[in-house]
Amino acid sequence: MSVIDLGGGVSWVHESFPETKGHIHVSVYLVDAPEGAILMDSGSFHHRQRLADRIRDATAGRGIGAIILSHSDYPHSGNIPAFRRDWGDFEIIASCGDPDLQGLPYARRTKIGDVTDVLGRRFVVLDPPLADRNHTTWVYDEASRTLFVADGFGALHAPGASHVDWGRLPEEGRAEGVHEFHAQTLPWLRYADPDRVMGALHAMLERHPPAWIAPIHGPPIAERDVPRYMADLEAALTRIAERN
Amino acid sequence: MNAPGSDTETTPAAAPMPAARTGAGWRRDVWPGIHWIQELGGHRAGIARAVLESGADWYTPGNELYVPQNAYLLTGERTLLWDTLSPASGHILLPALEELLGEQPLDYLALSHPDVPHAGNTMQVLRRYPDCQLVAPATGETHALYHLDDAMKVGPEDEIDLGGLRVRFPEATFLDAAIHTWMSEETTRTLFTVDWMGFPHQSGESLRRTDEIDTVVDVGRLEEFHSRVMFWFQYVHPHKVTAATDALAVQFAGYGLAPAHGLPIPGEDAAPYYERMNEVVRRVAAGGRGGVL
Repeated sequence: MSVIDLGGGVSWVHESFPETKGHIHVSVYLVDAPEGAILMDSGSFHHRQRLADRIRDATAGRGIGAIILSHSDYPHSGNIPAFRRDWGDFEIIASCGDPDLQGLPYARRTKIGDVTDVLGRRFVVLDPPLADRNHTTWVYDEASRTLFVADGFGALHAPGASHVDWGRLPEEGRAEGVHEFHAQTLPWLRYADPDRVMGALHAMLERHPPAWIAPIHGPPIAERDVPRYMADLEAALTRIAERN
Repeated sequence: MNAPGSDTETTPAAAPMPAARTGAGWRRDVWPGIHWIQELGGHRAGIARAVLESGADWYTPGNELYVPQNAYLLTGERTLLWDTLSPASGHILLPALEELLGEQPLDYLALSHPDVPHAGNTMQVLRRYPDCQLVAPATGETHALYHLDDAMKVGPEDEIDLGGLRVRFPEATFLDAAIHTWMSEETTRTLFTVDWMGFPHQSGESLRRTDEIDTVVDVGRLEEFHSRVMFWFQYVHPHKVTAATDALAVQFAGYGLAPAHGLPIPGEDAAPYYERMNEVVRRVAAGGRGGVL
């Protein structure tokens, strides 16, 4: 399967990387817009050729017309130069305060709170409660009600389960995958107050109710599964906080 | 071999060379054997406005305000470069290295973390110095996603003897991503704190240590930086962060501080900065983030 359709013009292009305690997604998403295809992040150079082939296949050879970049961490931004060579100088929409310092002098800068039009589709730019780099943003696609969350809402998964959404992962080990991801990926959580983090997340989900939550480092989470994921996340944050 | 905090009471000597913008870019010697290469970036107008609105008296209206990137070259019998500036400043870094190193090779390139403004010229440096050993933090599991799978991995148990200088790699106490380390140099007693202890400076203060500028680095000035870069302070139990800061103050008592985004702080002046950072955390936890850098 080339890409997995989430509905509303959003497709998941999943890739994974093996870690000690499970596999971690390093995925991207394609969004159909009136004026072309938008890629959410660019993926890792590690998966460059496979991603390029699948994107080309999914777009009937047209490639992408824009990238919305959550942040300029290499597993998210590493394919931008190669994809621009493949598909021309498409627009880059990025959140960083100084695009030059992030190696993106050609990017269109967005900032938290913006509502921005990309190829004819509207996105709300949000302040992420779960992130590593300070310039990270999440975006909410109003048309499909998909919340793209970069390093947030991740989860490790077992080998062989890279193509299923979070709610269809085997229940055994699923909560542990949420814990392991956060324990290793967001080291500042050792200092966090779980109530503060969860409060900010609940407020965001109330304001921008998602049909799908679309992380880069985990499988997408369907609306029906969000309460269960949030419960597992709260348990994970509490465990991390209690251990430190 | 001495653990951090238990070494001799050597105080870093005054810099033998004044701040200078040379044909090779922005660089100077900051402490013996430690050379500082600075990338200013552009004027940060938004932060300057915020500083003025706060009523701070350290910033002079009309001056340019910078949040710099710093790289440090350590030269003993062997040499080590700590971080590489952003991709926008390869034209500063490489000529500075060539001038500072002369005929000496670059033996090690150590990355604090694979963040673009810190690691943005890694490949250029390795191409220029192909025998250089890349050094990366041992923490984290996704080194291959950053081209770091073949790097020499270092952690708190490791030391590199540069011949006259000795570097260690203590745990990064305050960090954003999993692959991350701090570094200390034990003969000058210098702690390289990467994203922590940064602060903005203004025209006339570039390439100056804190003991060489006329303005104060107070809580508000530290807050301008950390409320953006360590945005996550808004979600913490402040007492957990302040306990970690207090432990650092003991472990590295007397060490000078060499941040990646501020001016170096001499060891004899460093102690009050820890308490200032504790107040920064309390303020951000109460008031939220200041913005994005």
